[in-house]
Amino acid sequence: GEHRDYLDNGNNKMAIQQADKLLKKHKDLHCAKVLKAIGLQRTGKQDEAYALAQEVAALEPTDDNSLQALTILYREMHRPELVTKLYEAAVKKVPNSEEYHSHLFMAYARVGEYKKMQQAGMALYKIVPKNPYYFWSVMSLIMQSISAQDENLSKTMFLPLAERMVEKMVKEDKIEAEAEVELYYMILERLEKYKEALDVVRGKLGEKLTSELQSRENKCMAMYKKLHRWPECNALARRLLLKNSDDWQFYITYFDSVFQLIDESWTPPAEEEHSLEGEVHCSIEQAVNFIEERIAGESRSSRPLRGPFLAKLELIRRLRHRGCNDEYKLGDPEELMFQYFKKFGDKPCCFTDLKVFVDLLPPSQYTKFIQQLLDIIPLVAAAEDEVALPGDIKALQQHLCVVQLSRLLGIYHTMDKKQKLAVVRELMLRYRHGLEFGKSCLKTELQFSDYYCLLAVHLLLDLWLEGEEAAVWQCLTLLEEGLSHSPSNAQFKLLLIRIYCRLGAFEPVSELYSSLDAKHIQHDTIGYLLTRYASSLGHYAAASQSCNFALRFFHSNQKDTSEYIIQAYKYGAFEKIPEFIAFRNRLNSSLHFAQVRTERMLLDLLLENWEWAKRGLGEDISEEHRKLSLEEETLWLRIRSLTLRLVSGLPTLAHTIQPKNSEKTAENGVSSKIDTIRALLQQLEAAVDSGKKFLEQKIQYPVLGPPPTRMAGFFSNGSCQCQTSLFYLVSDIYELDTNGLEDSAEIQERIGNSFKSLVERLTDLFNKCKGDLIEVRDGTLKTHPNLLENLVFFVETISIALWVSSYCDSVLRPFKSNLQKKKKKKKESSVAMPPVFTHFLDYVTELQTLTSNVIDHIKGLEIILTALKLEELDSLCKHREKKFTKTVQGKVQSSYHHSVQEIGELLKKRLDTIKKLKI
Amino acid sequence: MTTLRAFTCDDLFRFNNINLDPLTETYGIPFYLQYLAHWPEYFIVAEAPGGELMGYIMGKAEGSVAREEWHGHVTALSVAPEFRRLGLAAKLMELLEEISEKKGGFFVDLFVRVSNQVAVNMYKQLGYSVYRTVLEYYSASSGEPDEDAYGKFVFSLKLNGTILMLRIPGLVCKTIIIFLAYETGSDSCRLMGFMYPPLDNFSYLRLYQL
Repeated sequence: GEHRDYLDNGNNKMAIQQADKLLKKHKDLHCAKVLKAIGLQRTGKQDEAYALAQEVAALEPTDDNSLQALTILYREMHRPELVTKLYEAAVKKVPNSEEYHSHLFMAYARVGEYKKMQQAGMALYKIVPKNPYYFWSVMSLIMQSISAQDENLSKTMFLPLAERMVEKMVKEDKIEAEAEVELYYMILERLEKYKEALDVVRGKLGEKLTSELQSRENKCMAMYKKLHRWPECNALARRLLLKNSDDWQFYITYFDSVFQLIDESWTPPAEEEHSLEGEVHCSIEQAVNFIEERIAGESRSSRPLRGPFLAKLELIRRLRHRGCNDEYKLGDPEELMFQYFKKFGDKPCCFTDLKVFVDLLPPSQYTKFIQQLLDIIPLVAAAEDEVALPGDIKALQQHLCVVQLSRLLGIYHTMDKKQKLAVVRELMLRYRHGLEFGKSCLKTELQFSDYYCLLAVHLLLDLWLEGEEAAVWQCLTLLEEGLSHSPSNAQFKLLLIRIYCRLGAFEPVSELYSSLDAKHIQHDTIGYLLTRYASSLGHYAAASQSCNFALRFFHSNQKDTSEYIIQAYKYGAFEKIPEFIAFRNRLNSSLHFAQVRTERMLLDLLLENWEWAKRGLGEDISEEHRKLSLEEETLWLRIRSLTLRLVSGLPTLAHTIQPKNSEKTAENGVSSKIDTIRALLQQLEAAVDSGKKFLEQKIQYPVLGPPPTRMAGFFSNGSCQCQTSLFYLVSDIYELDTNGLEDSAEIQERIGNSFKSLVERLTDLFNKCKGDLIEVRDGTLKTHPNLLENLVFFVETISIALWVSSYCDSVLRPFKSNLQKKKKKKKESSVAMPPVFTHFLDYVTELQTLTSNVIDHIKGLEIILTALKLEELDSLCKHREKKFTKTVQGKVQSSYHHSVQEIGELLKKRLDTIKKLKI
Repeated sequence: MTTLRAFTCDDLFRFNNINLDPLTETYGIPFYLQYLAHWPEYFIVAEAPGGELMGYIMGKAEGSVAREEWHGHVTALSVAPEFRRLGLAAKLMELLEEISEKKGGFFVDLFVRVSNQVAVNMYKQLGYSVYRTVLEYYSASSGEPDEDAYGKFVFSLKLNGTILMLRIPGLVCKTIIIFLAYETGSDSCRLMGFMYPPLDNFSYLRLYQL
């Protein structure tokens, strides 16, 4: 009643009070206890909530209110397995309850207990013989077969059992619903009994398959393909194309089957029907005629269809691959593409369509082909020496298509710098002119001429890669200009994000990204653009935030999908169940998820004050680059996660007791901790080696291809070597700890040497951070994002150095106080201080000096960045672009300022920690 | 030239070119899974020969099964910029209407932002008429239509909201003339619209009478 309302309204405290009042009167009111537990759970008192819930659960309640409330509570506790226990008990006490049995089934479904689901489904069916219950049980068998490690077991046991269960229902004529037939088909398909599956679909049961469009036809087609029954494939594809001559998938099947039949020298039977599905085409002549007929039929269609024309090009391609073309007189591909352009050139997809077929053009014809297309576009020049411009949107669209094709065919590629710049100027002129047609466009719409701007930017990016520094600034300028006219253009935004990141400026990226309004699944599919760069450019706060968004999405995935797997059972969408589970697994094993998890934890360690002792588009990416990038990302993830585990293993080593000899410690198990650290260190070395080998290939991803990882910088700036040496130092210090100070001259010397070389290496790393972040060279701006990335690596490495020093401190401090006690007792002044103390003190002093120097350096950078006068550069730019150039440069400057500030703040915190370390 | 097929979970990884459009909402995973579990046949995607996703339609059956009164509802329809002006949206609508009719749906309705004039005009061309305007349908903080909003928006109508459009198969567009006018009161607004011819004889439509 009342307290439930409080819970629903989020007033948890009142709910608890109300429940307490009730409980005073009725001590054993179970439901009130559970509602109180929910209130406790929601106010963060998980342990109390759990204890209270278990009190009720132990009584094995059978009243609806308690059961439902406990289910809600367990779900909020993320303990779905407890719900199964609850209903197992309830079902024992009330064995004939349909409701409790079905709750039990769903509880099992939520945790994926397939075998128990199968039994629960049958138990339900025995109580109430409703078909869905029976088929839930059958589906659970399929799930057992999918999850079985042993494929043999799945094919010889689970699936045949499922098949027999369905057959029994078929024999008894008890099949009622479409879902049941779908399930039967699913089983047969998985058993590779394609013939039987086909019979089901084509038979009486198949008549139930009506929900989806062409459900029966699609299933038959799939089975014909599996059975290599090309005559049927062909006849069915032909029939479906007669119905809809624009459906691409059936052209592909039609061509595949025609050529299969030709290769098999298949001939139609003389008297009977060609095939189960009717007439079959089995010669090139028939195929050619069929396509020509589709084209002739197209003219009678109310809407122009692209399918028949493109199918002709596809047929030519296939004939060419077989070495025969001319005799069938399909025509010249160049001419056909020209005709296609005439018909569809004003559609934005014309380029995408023709792109698939440009390999049919001989390279020697490229220029002629482009000119041929240009010649038919109605363009008008205001004066003889001016650019001829389109008079309407259609002409503009046609021209855009030609420009895109020109780039695809590499026409601009061979141009020199001057020519390319001329093309850029022309494209921008066309872009600005084209804005005229979009004056009435809403903010949510794209401008018709946006693609001109995009193409100009791509050409400039090419120039930038060839070493033309000013080009990248013009890219940003043009994109900002484009965005101001077309504020919803995602292509502009994504390109800006990529380029700003390449230049080391993260600040403008946050705003651009948020204007994309990316959410949910997009945290995975585009979120990596943020997380790759935010922390590596010193924008720690933004990095934390974007990691959090991504993690929240990934964590909710598990809970969310379970709910809909259950719904799929309820609605009989059986084929969706394995699909949902595969989807959940795909998200859970997302590389981006693993990376964000690792980086988030490293970031937490870095940003926190670690107090020791207290606690323990655009361009197509080739398949090759995709694979290489995945490999690189995986290698880098391994290095980072090993680093994380090593760093978080440090507190477990903390010196607590004074060991007398090493054997004793080996017995009490502390040594296993150092063994773990040493094993991890070995793995890290191996991972670093593989990483180095990978980088030897010197892969250059396309500028808009996958962003490279930070691995190359990690190796080349020396942080990798520093970090591994630091972990080796941990191992040495541990040895000193277990060995004691006596007879440890050799260890002490080793530690002393490590300290010295570490200071040298860290100094080298600092040297790699020196230099101006932004400089003006030959009138252009040049950014040095690698210096920024090196600085970020420096901060991380010096942080690890400090954590290791803290460990060292915790080991040395007790030694020192012991020695001092001894000194007092013996009243001798001759007790010599072991050298390791001096070494450590020197080391810490050096770290302090180095850190102070870096902080000073950063202060210097801040001053330079503030003083940098960017306006003076403007003389290079045209007046029109001036405004945007200023914006762009200002954004980059401000972003660098922001980076340097955050990095400086973090280092100052580190400096405070160092000061505490002096023994 | 299009391949039309059922939408699958994996398409969620690939639909950015369609969804990075300011008028296309990217919903939470549960929302898509709910549609896939409950009304998979109303969720269709169009694919280009190069494998690019061109557009999709996502819909459902709404109403009461018990009273045997239900209709088709279009939840989302979107086409990527480079595949517009091909009639793809119309084709996808046609498919959904076909499915809805096959399932015994009485009519098909949808919500569309008043500001999305391109879409409003397209639906009008497809025979849809404005039935009523609704407030803040899209403004739920989660970005997902709030089921409780059903009761709410009836009493809080405002111009510049969203319009409900519908098409009844068999009825020619011209025969449904809807007058929309508003009388703004202190805490409630009243829709003064009515339909011609009166739709009282369609008992089902009473569900929607204000």
